[in-house]
Amino acid sequence: MITDKLKNFVRRKSFHVTYVDTGSCNGCSIEVLATICPRYDIEQYGIFVHHPNPREADVLLITGCVTEQWKTKLKELYDKVPEPKVVVAIGACACSGGIFDQEGKRTHPPLKNFIPVAAEIPGCPPRPSEILDAILGVAPIVFKDYDKKEANK
Amino acid sequence: MTEKNVDVSIPIGPLHPALKEPLRIKLHTEGERVVDAEVELGYMHRGIERILKGKPWNKAVYLAERVCGICSNIHCMTFIETLEKISDVEPTPRAKYLRVIVNELDRIQSHLIANVSYFLGIEHETLAMYMLDVRENSMDALEIVSGNRVHMTWNVLGGVRWDVEDHQLKMILETLDKMEPRVRRYRGMFAHGPLLQLRSKGIGVLSYEDATKVPAVGPVARGSGHPESDWRLRHPTYRDIFDFKAISRKEGDNTARVLIRFDEIFQSMDLIRDAIDNLPEGDIKNRGKVKAGEGFHSGEAPRGELKYFVKTDSAGKIDDITIRTPTRLNLESCVGYMLAGSPSIADAVAIYASIDPCIACTEG
Repeated sequence: MITDKLKNFVRRKSFHVTYVDTGSCNGCSIEVLATICPRYDIEQYGIFVHHPNPREADVLLITGCVTEQWKTKLKELYDKVPEPKVVVAIGACACSGGIFDQEGKRTHPPLKNFIPVAAEIPGCPPRPSEILDAILGVAPIVFKDYDKKEANK
Repeated sequence: MTEKNVDVSIPIGPLHPALKEPLRIKLHTEGERVVDAEVELGYMHRGIERILKGKPWNKAVYLAERVCGICSNIHCMTFIETLEKISDVEPTPRAKYLRVIVNELDRIQSHLIANVSYFLGIEHETLAMYMLDVRENSMDALEIVSGNRVHMTWNVLGGVRWDVEDHQLKMILETLDKMEPRVRRYRGMFAHGPLLQLRSKGIGVLSYEDATKVPAVGPVARGSGHPESDWRLRHPTYRDIFDFKAISRKEGDNTARVLIRFDEIFQSMDLIRDAIDNLPEGDIKNRGKVKAGEGFHSGEAPRGELKYFVKTDSAGKIDDITIRTPTRLNLESCVGYMLAGSPSIADAVAIYASIDPCIACTEG
């Protein structure tokens, strides 16, 4: 189908990214911010990251171990993102709780207990190039032939 | 709230295109004018102080550092200096200089990203991108010295983690020489740009008296004419060896706060050059043991005074710890004095970004 081909082509190189901080130390957040700088320049790949808005996002970048307040709100946030969508967990906190998963914690890691996660980037924090690599690697795979996959379900 | 005539309450956040971290600001407005503002926290609380209790000190360093990812080094440094104060350990002369080098490099990148988020707040994307590009150079310099971009764990009890070679110091100096003319150019662009000044001059004014009421700390206080708020004036290394002088301005508006950060970047560059030129030879670490005791210590984070209270037991474990971070105070001055009475809702985001908030620090 020509529409499928067109959709595949468009989705391969044009998506909105929203980053959500669910209780990180800001280390991952500034590395996400660093991906928009001219050295890494996420926008040259057709990714828009400037103004995070879940209602027009394709990729959700989530940092941080899930804090008490985010426990119920994460699912709501995930439902607000239109299909097709990809969740990328950034940093050790989002993957496993990292250093905050210890006795006396006030957090509820890992992230995948709350919403489906497509990719995890370990590191405390991961480098901007790794974040860029993960977004570019995982999103096209999920978005490819998305409508066909949905119809077959 | 009852006596004031409030038309609409406008919430900003917790997830908002202008905010980098989740928090909710409620603006009570009368027409376009902001009458009052409230702030709602709690989205970032990880309970670090609770986790820290009962941890051995050498494990606690990593956690103390992860209170904040932007001003990571100063948390590590203040925590270690509190322990040194408790257990009478003095860092070696070379370690003192190396601590200053990394601390000031960290301050440069933190001030740069603070101004980046201000320029993104007033939607001047070009200048923000220029400055993000310069910031990558300072991150390179940090990586050359410490081996990591964000969490370095540079300070250990009685010294620093490892030694810095001469060629690394030369690379830092080259990086600074590369950065300085560019940052000067961007400072000029901000100070003399009419459109940028239209969004900044006379907006979000915090008067000299109001700054003492909260009290505001860091660049916010120094922008309102309080040079004594810089805790580097009281730090033994800065006070005795580098003869440190604090910068201040009198205007108290967004322009003053942004220019203070620009000027402190140049000041930090001079401090690093000074430290590298006079770097003494010798050991980088003094041996020592953490004793039982308790004590307060303050350090100057890029955002202001950072205060640690630590109580240790004889085994070197943390019995009790309290961290008071600068944004805790600055947020109050922002909400209570700058936002309330702001003539326009459109300026609220710019005013909020100008205090360089770090919510991850505040909630801990």
